[in-house]
Amino acid sequence: AQRHSQQDSHTQYAQLGKDVTIQCGSVDRGAVVTWTANNTDLDASHLNGSWLVLRHVDLSHSGQYSCYEGSSWHLKYRVNLKVGTPPKEPVLMCRSNNYPNGFYCSWHLPSPTYIPDSFNITVKHDSKEIVCEKDASPKNRCYIRYLHLFSTKKYKVTLTVTNALGRNSTTISFDEFAIVKPDPPENVVAKPIPNNPRRLLVTWQYPSTWPDPDSFPLKFFLRYRPLIIDYWQHVELSDGTSHIITDAYAGKEYIIQVAAKDNEIGTWSDWSVAVHATPWTEEPKHLTTEAQGTETTTSSTSAFVVPSTTKMYDSERQAN
Amino acid sequence: RQSIQQTYDLTRYLEHQLHALAATYLNYLGPPFNEPDFDPPRLIGAEAVPSATVDFQLWRSLNDNARLAANYQAYSHLLCYLRTMDGATPTAMPTLRHSLAHFRASLQGLLGSIAGIMASLGYPLPPPVPDGTPTPNSHFLRKMDDFWLLKELQTWLWRSAKDFNRLRKRVPPSAVMLHLETRGF
Repeated sequence: AQRHSQQDSHTQYAQLGKDVTIQCGSVDRGAVVTWTANNTDLDASHLNGSWLVLRHVDLSHSGQYSCYEGSSWHLKYRVNLKVGTPPKEPVLMCRSNNYPNGFYCSWHLPSPTYIPDSFNITVKHDSKEIVCEKDASPKNRCYIRYLHLFSTKKYKVTLTVTNALGRNSTTISFDEFAIVKPDPPENVVAKPIPNNPRRLLVTWQYPSTWPDPDSFPLKFFLRYRPLIIDYWQHVELSDGTSHIITDAYAGKEYIIQVAAKDNEIGTWSDWSVAVHATPWTEEPKHLTTEAQGTETTTSSTSAFVVPSTTKMYDSERQAN
Repeated sequence: RQSIQQTYDLTRYLEHQLHALAATYLNYLGPPFNEPDFDPPRLIGAEAVPSATVDFQLWRSLNDNARLAANYQAYSHLLCYLRTMDGATPTAMPTLRHSLAHFRASLQGLLGSIAGIMASLGYPLPPPVPDGTPTPNSHFLRKMDDFWLLKELQTWLWRSAKDFNRLRKRVPPSAVMLHLETRGF
């Protein structure tokens, strides 16, 4: 029989692992009906009168369920079943990487809920609510501009997450200075210094996100080690954006990273991208003419006089 | 600029000193004052302590004179409060009393240093601060005031460090020398 499928679709949510009952719309409990799941007929064992009962649902139960009146095969009710979980307590973090302009808060759920969640964030400072400007992307982040600086009052941020199966929230409070954490230094470059077999010149730049280096200078932490040794050496630098490593092992390749921190407040940035460099090494000197007779030489492209022992070799090369 | 650098260094030293002193003093005050998340309301007594909080744009636009004057006035006030703190510390805690006295002396030095810079730049000193430190009418309120005083002090030192950073970059040495010469030095 032709199924008539004109019916607006409903949505129903069910919690993972629970039983769920779906009624056939307004059809009488005792009526004879047929249920399909994604257009596949469901056997009578799932029925309780005209109600559909699904036990211990899992994600695979999500889908479209349709209820047809027994004799006329008329579609009486259609529902989209979405199986998921209520939200767990969200993880919320706030940080200022462009102090003193402002700070951002970002959040995530410790585990997926499989159904749509909505987040609401409120920021309070000195008992006033401050706007948290939502970023276009990423979606789970918003930005707060500092209206005042050097405040002794704590910021209080509350994040509430809601979905069809429940709600949860978390609140953090912090001092203005505690969340200051610059981005890592940029454009880190390490170079050998000619004629200095134990030195490396390292230069870097302020993170481009740090807005006012004059008033808010950063200090830096440099760590370096030869690739072959697993032990970092560190040096803290309170001024400037370059440093000469003077105790490098001659000829050994080094790995170098830099971190940054405001001079007075907050915490250290993450480490910068690692750069590699090997100190200057002297060019291997070629034998002088006296020592020629006693030593065979490999071919050399250097500008030194080609030893006579290679004359035959040259004439062969010219013949080819 | 040399004296601004020295003043900046003194500010950093004070900040370091206060960090240890505040931890000791808050432990002396005991819970909840020494708990990291303690965030009490600021009552009338503590409202009188000069707040370092400043409108961001205003702070940015302060000229050197106003910037120095704000620092000078704040520490003048804060020093008065520190003296009242001294009286509250029991004689049975000599180390804490000594640290407080040492810190107060250093802060007095900072005040003198700021005054020196202002004089060398030809700025008038702000009028002296009338001693209006309110006396709290309970031991608990006294502790609340002390809590906020320490927090303000910490924040003022951070603000001063940023102020002196700014001044270091903006005040050419010649400006200081020029003024000294016109005053016959």
